[in-house]
Amino acid sequence: MDLSLAIFVQIIVAALLVIGLMVGNAVVMVYMERKVAGFIQRRPGPYEVGPWGTLQALCDSMKLLAKQLYRPGNVDIILYYLAPILAFFPVLLLFLPIPFGPYLTALNVNEGIILILAFAGLGVLSNLLAGWSSNNKYSLLGAARAVSQTVAYEIPMILALLAVVFQCGSMDLKNVTEQQGAWPWEWNVLTQPLAFFIYVVSLVGETNRAPFDLPEAESELAAGFHTEYSGMGFALFFLSEYANMLLVSLVAAVFFLGGYKGPVADGFWWIFIKAYAIMFFLVWIRWTFPRVRFDQLLNINWKWLLPLSLLNLWLTAIIVKLLI
Amino acid sequence: MLKAIWDNIKGLYSLVVGLSITGRYLLSPVETIHYPRQVVDDEILASFRGPIQLTLGKKDPAQTRCVSCQMCVKACPGHCLKVTKGEAKAPVAWTYDFSYCCLCGACVESCPTGALEFSHKVYLVTVSREELIFDLLADLKKRAATRAEAPTPTGSAATGSASIAASAGSAAPAPPAAGTAAAAAQPSPKPAQA
Ligand code: SF4
Ligand code: SF4
Repeated sequence: MDLSLAIFVQIIVAALLVIGLMVGNAVVMVYMERKVAGFIQRRPGPYEVGPWGTLQALCDSMKLLAKQLYRPGNVDIILYYLAPILAFFPVLLLFLPIPFGPYLTALNVNEGIILILAFAGLGVLSNLLAGWSSNNKYSLLGAARAVSQTVAYEIPMILALLAVVFQCGSMDLKNVTEQQGAWPWEWNVLTQPLAFFIYVVSLVGETNRAPFDLPEAESELAAGFHTEYSGMGFALFFLSEYANMLLVSLVAAVFFLGGYKGPVADGFWWIFIKAYAIMFFLVWIRWTFPRVRFDQLLNINWKWLLPLSLLNLWLTAIIVKLLI
Repeated sequence: MLKAIWDNIKGLYSLVVGLSITGRYLLSPVETIHYPRQVVDDEILASFRGPIQLTLGKKDPAQTRCVSCQMCVKACPGHCLKVTKGEAKAPVAWTYDFSYCCLCGACVESCPTGALEFSHKVYLVTVSREELIFDLLADLKKRAATRAEAPTPTGSAATGSASIAASAGSAAPAPPAAGTAAAAAQPSPKPAQA
C-alpha cells in the first residue's frame, strides 16, 4: 500500500515537472527558432521585448492565453475540443520513462521504448480529429496528410531504434544508456551510423517540421489541421508539437548519443545539451531546405528509408549473432 | 537503375552544401539596420527616391527652373500636382500632395526644364493627411537658404544630394524624432558631404 502510494506521488510530481518542462521548452524553442531564423537570414530576430528579445516568447504566450476561443459554425463540438487535449496529454506520458539522469526517471519501465512508440501514435489521432471536426477542407487535407506521413515515417523510425535494441539487447532506456560510455567514441552513433541517420530524417517527418511540414504547409493549406483553432486550442497544439520535438530528440540522445552520460560528470545536463543540439539542427535544416512535394516525401520514406533501415536491421542482427 | 541510385546518393551532398551556406550566414554579422538606434549612411540614401522636390535654380538657387508648362500636372497619374502660373512664366504656387503620389517619376521624366527631381527624404512621418501636402516653392527657398549658409566646394554635385532628408546625417546618427511631423514636413536640409 505504502509503495503504491509512493509511486502515485512520484508520478504526480513527475507529471507536474513535465508540464513545466513542456512549457519552458516551448518558450525556449520559440525564441531559439526565431533567433536562428533571423541570423540565418542575417537579421537580428526578436529584439525589442526584454534584453535581446528574450521576453518575446513569454509575451506571445500571454497573448495566446488572453485570446478568445472562437469556434466556427458546423464543427463537431466534442471532437473539436477533444483534439487539442488529446494532443497534449499523451505527450505528458511519453516523458515519464525517459532517464534524465542516473536516478532521475519518473517511471522505471523495463520496456520504455515500447511505451513511447505506442503512445506517440496517439498524437496523429489528435491531428486527424482536429482536421475532421473542423469542417474545413484545408484542415481535412492537412489531417489526411498528417496521417499518411506520420504512419509512413513511424516505420523506419521504429526499425532504426530496433537496430539499437538488437545491439544492446534491451528495451529499457536506462539500460541502453548504461551500455554506452561517457565519451563520444563510446556512443551508439558510431556503431549504428546508418540507424542514426535514418532516425534523424524520420524524426523530421514524424514531428511535421520543415522540410517535411506538409500537414501544415502554410502556402498551400493556410495552417493545415489547426486552421480553425484559436487561443488555447492552438496553443495546446503548439505546445505538444514542440514537446514532441523535445521527446524525439531526447530519445535520439538516449539511443545514439549516450543519454545522460558525458565527460566530467554524468547528469541531466548532458541529456539536455544533446537533445537541444539535435533541436538546433532541426531548426537549422528548417531554415535551409525548401518543403518537399508530397510524393517526394513518401518516395523518400518508402523507397529509401524503409529498405535502408531493413538492411541495417538485418546487418545488425547478423553481426550480433556472429559476435555473441 | 544503379545510376539513379548513385545520383540520389550524390544528391545528398547538395544538402550539405546548403547547410554550410546557411551555417555561414548564421555566424556572419547581421545585415539589417536597426532603425531607431542606427540609420543608414547618406551614400545609400543618395539613390533613394523619396517625394519629389524642385531642383535648385541654375543662377539663383532659390529661383525655380519651372516654367509652368503643366506637363508634369498632365503626366501625373495621381493628380497630385498643382502649378499656378504667375505674371511671367515662373509659378507663383506649386503644391504637391504626397498622399496621392505613387513615386512613379512621370513628372520628373516629363519636365522639359529639369525642374523636378526625387528627394531623399526617407524619414518622412506625419500624423495627418493634410501635412502631406507640400508647398514646394517654400521648400526650395529653404533649401537654397541653407545651401547659401554652408556652401560646398563642389557646387554642381551639391544639387543632387543637397537635401538628404531630415536630420539623419552620418556625422550625427541620431534618429529623427519619430512622429514629429514638423521635422519631416519642413525638412532642415543639410549640404552634401564631400
Ligand atoms: S511621381 Fe508620379 S504620382 Fe508622384 S507626383 Fe510625380 S507623376 Fe505624380
Ligand atoms: S513640367 Fe516642369 S516646367 Fe512644367 S510645370 Fe511641371 S515642373 Fe514646371
